[in-house]
Amino acid sequence: MRTVLYNAHVALGAKMVDFAGWEMPLSYRGVVAEHLAVRTHAGLFDVSHMGRIRIQGPDAEHFLNFVTTNEVIAQLDGSAAYTVLTHSHGGTVDDTLLYRFDPQRFYLVANACNREKDLAHLRAHARSFRVTIQPTYANEGILALQGPEADTILRQLFPGEWNLKYMRFAVMTYQGHDVLVARTGYTGSGGYELFAENSVIPLLWTDLLAAGCNQGLEPVGIGARDTLRLEAGYSLYGHELADAIAPTESVSAWAVKWKKGYFVGQEALLRLQGNANKRSQHGVVLSEPGVPRANCRVFRKGVEIGLVTSGTHSPCLNCGIAIVMVQEDLALGEGVEIEVRGRKLKGQVIKLPFYNP
Amino acid sequence: MIKYTESHEWIQVDGKAGIVGITDFAQKELGDIVYVELPQVGKTIKLGQEAAVLESTKAAADVYAPVSGKITAVNDALKNAPELVNQSADSDGWLFKIELSEPTELDGLMEKEAYLQLVKRG
Repeated sequence: MRTVLYNAHVALGAKMVDFAGWEMPLSYRGVVAEHLAVRTHAGLFDVSHMGRIRIQGPDAEHFLNFVTTNEVIAQLDGSAAYTVLTHSHGGTVDDTLLYRFDPQRFYLVANACNREKDLAHLRAHARSFRVTIQPTYANEGILALQGPEADTILRQLFPGEWNLKYMRFAVMTYQGHDVLVARTGYTGSGGYELFAENSVIPLLWTDLLAAGCNQGLEPVGIGARDTLRLEAGYSLYGHELADAIAPTESVSAWAVKWKKGYFVGQEALLRLQGNANKRSQHGVVLSEPGVPRANCRVFRKGVEIGLVTSGTHSPCLNCGIAIVMVQEDLALGEGVEIEVRGRKLKGQVIKLPFYNP
Repeated sequence: MIKYTESHEWIQVDGKAGIVGITDFAQKELGDIVYVELPQVGKTIKLGQEAAVLESTKAAADVYAPVSGKITAVNDALKNAPELVNQSADSDGWLFKIELSEPTELDGLMEKEAYLQLVKRG
């Protein structure tokens, strides 16, 4: 599949790759340059491949509180919340951002690879709720404008008095078109995500790039999107979270709320608490040169204790970084080794995020 | 004389002394190179053996010895500036020097035109 910006990406010289069935830009100028542009100025991402599901109806709030791990009843109208869909066995169906318009209208942004699985999961659990569940990915696009200059750039397209706090959103108008502007993102550098009809996306893309040319704005591909999210310590489904990884075992454990009432998977997650087989995830910074990758083995004092779930070279720290999943307890500051291409490289457990802009 | 391999290395030869790097095409395919693992100076390697590793933000790629011989020097500048391979794959971003033990192996490598044809065909 292609987003409406496919031709624009190719014209900008992007290297295109397959991502969950979508032809997406891996990078334009280079992963590291784009990564640093987001950290120091601003970057514009096409993330129209993301799955989107509209959930509406009199029971929408209670249904979503029942089918996800975070608090939905107390969520404010006009806010977004990170929340996780869990199997009844405790494994993770998907991690999502849930945008709440009001108690009866929600919008769920899901991972592209999980779109159909999420739909089936939601529908299977919706039988006793008065809700409609409708995918909208085919008609709408999403842009992410991220970085310290994002606010200045966005205000050139949306002038006037407005203020959005982190994780809040509002529907605004650009040249007569509705645009949902959300102060959300996946980079750790702050900024906005813009949701609009497909017909409006190329206009927003072109006008944002033009508005930001004096602020150092540049297009950024999914290569830097991954290195940025990893520096920020965010989960990526298929790595930190999976059907066989419980959210409570992951860096997203904070999004599981125990006092919100019953939710799908709760018994399994409760059973896992205190279970000797429960795993945990930690950030590790390498002190020796090398690039850790997913599935590299992790050792402590020569004993294998787990695997890397995501690893990369951090452009901001200029060293290897990894999220590791281990069965043992790991303390901050503790030394571990990660086996990279046959060499055991020394590293240290740190408090996430790796990098805080 | 400069010759090329199908695995995208180049070797510049003067008598028995060779300098080896990867091609500009290869560095573009790899993307940002962030770490370079170079061979031990003094090590003897055979044609086609893994001689160096280039790690990019995306993946790790092996560099193979285009000829057999002994490693006489490595490009130490790459330790602190691996991006030299991206910026200047065919000169400052060279990887290692090798003393050829079987100079006739060069006959099996490609001339520039043949290599350019190869990458053009994809």
